[in-house]
Amino acid sequence: MNTKWNVTFRVYRQKDQQTPHYDEFKMEVSPDEYVLDGVERVWAFHDRSLTFRHACHHSTCGACGMRVNGVEKLTCITPIREVTTDGGVIKVEPLRNFPIVSDLVVDLGPLYQRMEAVGHRTVLPTNEAGIANSLKAKKAQEENGMYRLADCIECGLCISACPIAATTAEYLGPAVLAGAQQGGLDRDPHVLELVDSEVGVWRCHSAYECTEVCPSHVEPAWRIMDLRKKVIGKKFKRLFGG
Amino acid sequence: MSSTPQKPSNAIKWFDPRWRQMGSWAFILNRITALGLTLYLFLHLGILSQLAQGPDAYDGFLATIHSPVFIFGEFLVVSAGIIHGLNGIRIALNSFGIAVPYQKQLFAGLMALAILGSLIFAVRMFTA
Amino acid sequence: MSKPHAIIIGAGFTGVATAHDLALRGFDVTVVERGPIANGTSGRTHGLLHSGGRYAVKDQESAIECIDENMILRKIVPNVIEPNGGLFVALDDSDLAYAETFIEGCQACHIPIEELTAKQALKMEPNLNPGVLAAFLVPDGTFDPLRLALSFAATAKSNGAKFRLFTEVTEFTFDGQGNVTGVKLWDRTNDNRSELHGDIVVNATGAWAGQISEMAGDPGIPIHPTPGVMVTYDQRLCERAINRLNKPADGDIVLPQRQMVVVGTTSFEVEDLDYIPVVEDQIQLMFERGAELLPGIRKANMRGAYMATRPLVGGGTTGRSIARTFKCFDHKESHNIDGLVTITGGKATTLRQMAEKTADVVCQKLGVDAQCTTKDVPLLSHRQFYLLPN
Repeated sequence: MNTKWNVTFRVYRQKDQQTPHYDEFKMEVSPDEYVLDGVERVWAFHDRSLTFRHACHHSTCGACGMRVNGVEKLTCITPIREVTTDGGVIKVEPLRNFPIVSDLVVDLGPLYQRMEAVGHRTVLPTNEAGIANSLKAKKAQEENGMYRLADCIECGLCISACPIAATTAEYLGPAVLAGAQQGGLDRDPHVLELVDSEVGVWRCHSAYECTEVCPSHVEPAWRIMDLRKKVIGKKFKRLFGG
Repeated sequence: MSSTPQKPSNAIKWFDPRWRQMGSWAFILNRITALGLTLYLFLHLGILSQLAQGPDAYDGFLATIHSPVFIFGEFLVVSAGIIHGLNGIRIALNSFGIAVPYQKQLFAGLMALAILGSLIFAVRMFTA
Repeated sequence: MSKPHAIIIGAGFTGVATAHDLALRGFDVTVVERGPIANGTSGRTHGLLHSGGRYAVKDQESAIECIDENMILRKIVPNVIEPNGGLFVALDDSDLAYAETFIEGCQACHIPIEELTAKQALKMEPNLNPGVLAAFLVPDGTFDPLRLALSFAATAKSNGAKFRLFTEVTEFTFDGQGNVTGVKLWDRTNDNRSELHGDIVVNATGAWAGQISEMAGDPGIPIHPTPGVMVTYDQRLCERAINRLNKPADGDIVLPQRQMVVVGTTSFEVEDLDYIPVVEDQIQLMFERGAELLPGIRKANMRGAYMATRPLVGGGTTGRSIARTFKCFDHKESHNIDGLVTITGGKATTLRQMAEKTADVVCQKLGVDAQCTTKDVPLLSHRQFYLLPN
């Protein structure tokens, strides 16, 4: 905390329909502070017109997702020393594949609308929480009356990183498909229709960036593959009179 | 000081491996080899239709295919086929939920095989 | 007769809950907020749905508010809450000595508690310090801060409330007698300046309430912004809230939040509220104190650290001895400025009640005869905030 680095924040700016540009802010920061702290400093001490989203500052709300030096990050848990060096530059841009509202703020409306459509539950019993770690087998947990907030914090990093989402706005996106996998296909028949489509589970082309950038242990990639199995399972059942 | 950011068109947005991980590289490589192989397919059909026009055309064609540029082109096709095919196996496996957590290792291993295969073909093709 | 128009400054917990209450009572509501939803203290709250146990000895008014509101929130907004209970844990003799007053306090505040043996506590929470001597189970819970605020905001929106985010209040507008008639606004997304008038302005800016009320001409709100640190670690070492059984002190609460634990907090005074850097010593303190309760913290990696500023309100004392309750100030009474009320203090857990009291004051001032119904109205999904049009 006592070391100080000289870092230049290069921040994407766009207001209304004007041409976007980058503004530079040279600041003295501690390398153990987070990128979000730096962005906040820019607003607090340099430019009060900067708009950005943030709320919890501890990776549970999903508000502060941005691209830092080209990579999707949750800026509240991204230390400055992870993305630059003393005398270096931190480029901060809004997430991709969402309409930009102003500066670093994007409109996540499509994501929320689709999460509602697939019935992703924000809180669920621990034995249904299906806590991901695809490297270990999913542990079956006893029914113990306890609840768990779902891992997905709807931050949009996965959709920003997905090359398919970059070319097709209609693609449901990793978070949504992972959300559908969490809910399963039995709770609502509309979900099957939604995901079993050319903009649903079949559109994924295995780039795996979603899992790479997810800050919340959701691991959307294997969930999409798992969902494919579930969809095929459903179709077989239907074929044979299910 | 400010500078203006540029945006690529939707058609080529997927082609940006900068700051991305191995999975993205695999995806981009697969697309490029696919485009290359498709292009080759059209060329191949085009040339075949030319060849259907008689023995003189065939002889003329044989003359060109021995040039190093042509052989190199064919080597690219073979290499693209190996890469695309092996990566395709990885993608097929993953699509069935097999080995998803190991997709990076699988890619690395299969590409090592692809390099090996390409080298073998290179030796055979350039020393024939 | 047209609906009365209330302007609420601040979209933290108090602002959104008040918008919800007033919208249900038939008001036109406009919430103006200089940033996004809950970007001040509210977003950064530890996330403890208080049973009130923490205040049952020294601040019983707060404790009773907490347990009552705890039960209501579990009913009206279950989708943002892990209702898994909490433990008050005794690790040494000083803690054990506190047990008796703790039990008496909880009983006086109708907070249900269950005494556990060390063995039972360790069975419930295997990562607890194995040296635990005794524990009490209380109906604590943990909640998702932003989604709690969004749920209130979504419901308010569905009843006609309008939200103008990234819109800063630069000045108040007044009538000839110094009474507030509205606000001047700066929309930071497009640099537009405008004015908005209303029948009443509610200052719900929490820790900034003093600054805003000064802007209106009343410097007398006794607000003591008191920040504290929170540190998160990357393993979910407990399933319930873990509290140290003793007088409230630094670093005596550890909460699970998704796949992390959050240790809090400290208490100190500050001048500039807009940016408070984290202090290394305080992180170290949280590490030590958290590890006393959950030794696994020593092996976990730090995921984040941040500061949150409590809006403490009241008398002449500072820090931990100020009551955690809330207060609604009618500026007509305090400084002869009509058209403005300030609501501040309080805790996240009591947001609905703070809104109820504020809405009561507003209705009484404007002669509106409408009762509070928020106790029984289930809230909408937090996503509706982004999906409903303004």
